[in-house]
Amino acid sequence: MKRLIVLSLLVALSVFAMAFKVIMVTDVGGLGDKSFNDGTWEGIVKAAKEIGAEYKVIQSYEQADYIPNLTRAAQEADVVFAVGFMMTDALFKVAKQFPNVYFVGIDIVPPEGTSLPNVLCFVFKEEHAGFYAGYIAAAMTSTGKIGFVGGIPIPPVERFRYGYEAGAKIYSTLHKKKVDILRGYTNDFEDPKKGKDLTMAQYAQGADIVFLAAGACGNGGIEAAREKMVALVGSDKLVDIIDYVTKNNKGFFAIGVDVDQDYMAPGVVLCSAMKGISMASYYGVKSAWEGTFEGGLKVLGVKESGAGVSPMKYTKGMIPNRVIAELEYLTKLIKDGKLVIPDTEDALKAFQVPAITFPF
Amino acid sequence: MNQKLWSFLVPVLSVVVALIIASFVILMIGKNPITAYAALIRGALGSKMAIASTIVKTTPLILTGLAVGFGFRAGLFNIGAEGQMIVGAMVATAFAINVGWMPAVLAIPLTMLVGMVAGAAYASIAGFLKAKTGAHEVVTTIMLNWIADYLSSYVVTVPMGVGFGTPKSPEIASSAKLPPLMVVQATELTSGIIVAVLAAILMKILLDKTSKGYELKAAGFNPYAAEYGGIKLADNIVLAMAISGALAGLAGTLEVMGVHHRFLGTLSGGKGFDGISIALIGQNNPIGIIFAALLMGALRNGSNEMQFVGVPKHIIMIVQAIIIFLVAADRIVRAIFLRKKVAK
Repeated sequence: MKRLIVLSLLVALSVFAMAFKVIMVTDVGGLGDKSFNDGTWEGIVKAAKEIGAEYKVIQSYEQADYIPNLTRAAQEADVVFAVGFMMTDALFKVAKQFPNVYFVGIDIVPPEGTSLPNVLCFVFKEEHAGFYAGYIAAAMTSTGKIGFVGGIPIPPVERFRYGYEAGAKIYSTLHKKKVDILRGYTNDFEDPKKGKDLTMAQYAQGADIVFLAAGACGNGGIEAAREKMVALVGSDKLVDIIDYVTKNNKGFFAIGVDVDQDYMAPGVVLCSAMKGISMASYYGVKSAWEGTFEGGLKVLGVKESGAGVSPMKYTKGMIPNRVIAELEYLTKLIKDGKLVIPDTEDALKAFQVPAITFPF
Repeated sequence: MNQKLWSFLVPVLSVVVALIIASFVILMIGKNPITAYAALIRGALGSKMAIASTIVKTTPLILTGLAVGFGFRAGLFNIGAEGQMIVGAMVATAFAINVGWMPAVLAIPLTMLVGMVAGAAYASIAGFLKAKTGAHEVVTTIMLNWIADYLSSYVVTVPMGVGFGTPKSPEIASSAKLPPLMVVQATELTSGIIVAVLAAILMKILLDKTSKGYELKAAGFNPYAAEYGGIKLADNIVLAMAISGALAGLAGTLEVMGVHHRFLGTLSGGKGFDGISIALIGQNNPIGIIFAALLMGALRNGSNEMQFVGVPKHIIMIVQAIIIFLVAADRIVRAIFLRKKVAK
């Protein structure tokens, strides 16, 4: 009897040990942000379901948790995801200890001079996604003022802003429309209240469209836009909003970030500046499973479908067809390298809108 | 029952009650509380690495707990430990980056001193305002927290920011790094814990064995009586805030010297505020605060392991909240247990 138990335990253990396992370790934000973390998770779940792998998420409470959590994850998983820029140092410290475990870093750049064959990092050209947001915002503003609400001013957030400002500048130069930009940071990625307050403040200063690059803080900003829009229109129905906006040519809008957030307030979220996070995490799991995993850094932009704009399911009717067509044309220019969106503060300052003539 | 025993029993009973209540919450989300708590204990104390991480987490909590506890003893509610911790860490880092030429015997104590002085100076602003104008320290320290928060974000992105990556300062000189007591894989057990425990003992001596400590306590018990007795209140307020701030500053400094080896914008992670609950659980007693911090550190660290068995770490926040509630309202705990005794 005893032997039977031991045997069955052994079998159970070996089955357990054989299952391919993916663990995602998040920054302090955690799942439920409806943007960055959820986007990564979506790709992991999709890939894991396809190959029948186990998947789990571990949330960190503070910076001192990164190393213990990544270590624990590496002890039992085949693929460990470190999600978020803040985990850079911890990821490389831990990955060195576990050469047989694959690590995927999202929004992480290997520190100079470090390159490990078991670590694959993804970063995105947020400035490309930000460009769409800026161009559309500049086209749609009726007050001539648009806002930017960032989380902590880390490089990915800043790149969204560079693109946003460049996009607005391109529109305003090509169409000779004066557009001012308000900027603010919540210094946080978690508290929706902070995002809401700052968005409200920018509306009060005259902005009518605010781009929220602030993780879960942005959800509060979308809520602020919804409240203002409903107060203006007197209804939260999509048809009424579209009706009001097209008739009066004004409204209050938010612009979502990271994933397609248009659904969070139909008609109020003008568009979302998307980055291909779920695509990257999906690829990370699949390549580890198929044995094609290669360490290194991948930078994904418009060309690699790593950055773009949401399909604007609800708002397409409000945005003039001409703007959509112009964006198509500009996308092609970016892909061909004829239009370079600035990705640093200096590049943004030096940015001059090239002479662009639309073929229509 | 005597007072001393009670001040020990209340926190202990509160923990037990909190764990029992939380186990119902765990049941409600469809998990097994026994598995969850087993994972909690395993994660907090089950391996060398677990113990090392628990102590790493405990170290700053002891110091912020002492900072707030010291303030309480002198009749001040220092909510600004968070800001003082940030400022202490920030200034200490700026100093420690440039001490490569110094031997470690000099660089380590000097860096600590710089961090403590910075924290003390920052807290003294609130102390000074209270002594001179009567501005309440709760209001001023909260405002100073925000100033420190935004200042640190600026510092790590612009003047002290380095490289492409997390907003962070450059690494401090290796002579200013605290030698680790133990290294398990990527986890380093910081020797800062020794400093933290020493600080607690020093605080106990200061409060219980010196005349200055007596003055500070007297001002805390009853400022009017103390003033009547010839104690200069204004001086004591500034001094108490400064000592409190020095402890908080040291908390941040040790995080830099022993754990991160650089300054990060989000370094404090609310540990200054945790100090309030730790001081409360430790009943403002330096030795009690050590154990309260250890409890909190162990719960937090263990909660990471709990996630691996599918129980969200927010359960620990519930436990924490119930403990604080019960300790704060210790009459409830007394009533529950005393009545039982009578009934028997």
